Amino acid sequence: MIGTHPMPLATLIGYWLGELSAADEAALEEHFFGCEECTTQLEGVVSLAAGVREAVSDGSIGMFVSTAFVDAMKAAGLRLREYRLEPGGSVNCTIGADDDAVVSRIMAPLAGVERLDIERISSAGDVQSRVTDVPFDANSGEVVMIPPPRELKAMSAFTLELRLIAVHESQERDVGRYTFNHAPS
Amino acid sequence: MLDDQRLSALDDGALARRITEAGRAPDSAAESELYRRLAPRVRLYGLRHLRDRHGAADLVQSVLLMTLERLRAGRIREPERIGSFVLGSCRMTVLEMRRGTRRREALLETFGDVTATFESSEPGLLDGDRLARCLEALSERERSVVVLTFFADRNADDVGAELSISSGNVRVIRHRALSRLRACVDVGEGAP
Repeated sequence: MIGTHPMPLATLIGYWLGELSAADEAALEEHFFGCEECTTQLEGVVSLAAGVREAVSDGSIGMFVSTAFVDAMKAAGLRLREYRLEPGGSVNCTIGADDDAVVSRIMAPLAGVERLDIERISSAGDVQSRVTDVPFDANSGEVVMIPPPRELKAMSAFTLELRLIAVHESQERDVGRYTFNHAPS
Repeated sequence: MLDDQRLSALDDGALARRITEAGRAPDSAAESELYRRLAPRVRLYGLRHLRDRHGAADLVQSVLLMTLERLRAGRIREPERIGSFVLGSCRMTVLEMRRGTRRREALLETFGDVTATFESSEPGLLDGDRLARCLEALSERERSVVVLTFFADRNADDVGAELSISSGNVRVIRHRALSRLRACVDVGEGAP
C-alpha cells in the first residue's frame, strides 16, 4: 500500500489521523515529499477536515455525537446549552443568541441494542419522520443529539416528541419517549 | 514564458541542481518554482505533526529558506534527492520547534524577511454552504463518523470506542462517507 503510486486515499487519511505504524509513516513521507499528486490529494483531505470543523462551529449541521465530542467542542471554545432527559421525560428548552449549540442527552436502557431508530411524533400522534441507525453509546445508555443550531435559532415555539426504537432483525421494541417544549429565547 | 514551461517540465532534483549551479547569482525563476512545489508538502507535514496553522507556516519558511540558501552555497551533496533533504530538515525543525528552541524571529534574523520573494498559495477553502448540504445528505451514522473524526482529528480506535463500534467498521464507514462527500462537493464546484 505504502509503495503504491498514487497513494490510496485511505492511506493518506490514515496518515493524517496518525493511524499508520512508524515504519509506514516514514515510508509514506519519503514518497510524499517527491509526489505532487499525493500533495494535492492530502490537501483535499485537510480542506475537507477544515470544512467539517467550520460546519460544526458555525452551526450549519445537526448530528448525533459522543460525550467526548461534546468535550472537544467545549475545549474549542464553543458555548453549549445542555439538557438531559430520562425515558418518559419532557423538558422546556431554548437556544440563546450566544449559544453555539444545544446538546440533548437522551438517556435510555441501550444494553444489548444493535440498531436504534428514532421517530418524530406529531402532537396528533402521527409519525412525521423516522431516522434509522442512530449512533449511541450503549455503555453510558445515552444518545447525544445536537439539532442544527442555525435552523433552531430561526424557529418559533414548538413541541417535539421523539420515540426511540430498538430494532433487531424484523422486530421492534419501544425504548422510550421524550418531549421537547421549545421556545425561542 | 518559454522558460517557465521548461522549468515546470524539470523534476525537483533537476531544479535543485540548476539552483546549485547558479551559485551566488541566484536563478530566481528556478528557486520560485522549487519553492512553489515544496511549500505545500512542508506545510502539510507541519500541520500533521504540529496541528497548528501558524507553526506550519513557520516551518515552511524555516525549512525552505534554509534549503535554498544551502543549494545556492552548494552545501547539499545530492541535489537530485532534494525531497529527502527537505523531509529530514522538516523532521529536525519540528523537533526543535517542539523543544521551543526554534523561533520565527531567529529565522528572520538569519535570512532577513525575504519570504515575500516566494509565493505559495494555501489550498482554497471549500464552499461552506455546499459542504453543509453534503454533510446533511449523509446517513446519521456516516455524518457522526465524519464529524467525530475530523472535528478534532480522532483516529478510528477513538471514534469506534465512542460509538460502540469496531475501528474496522469506522474505517469502512469513513471511507464510504468521504467518497460520497467528495463526489457531492465536486459536483457543486462544477456547477455554474
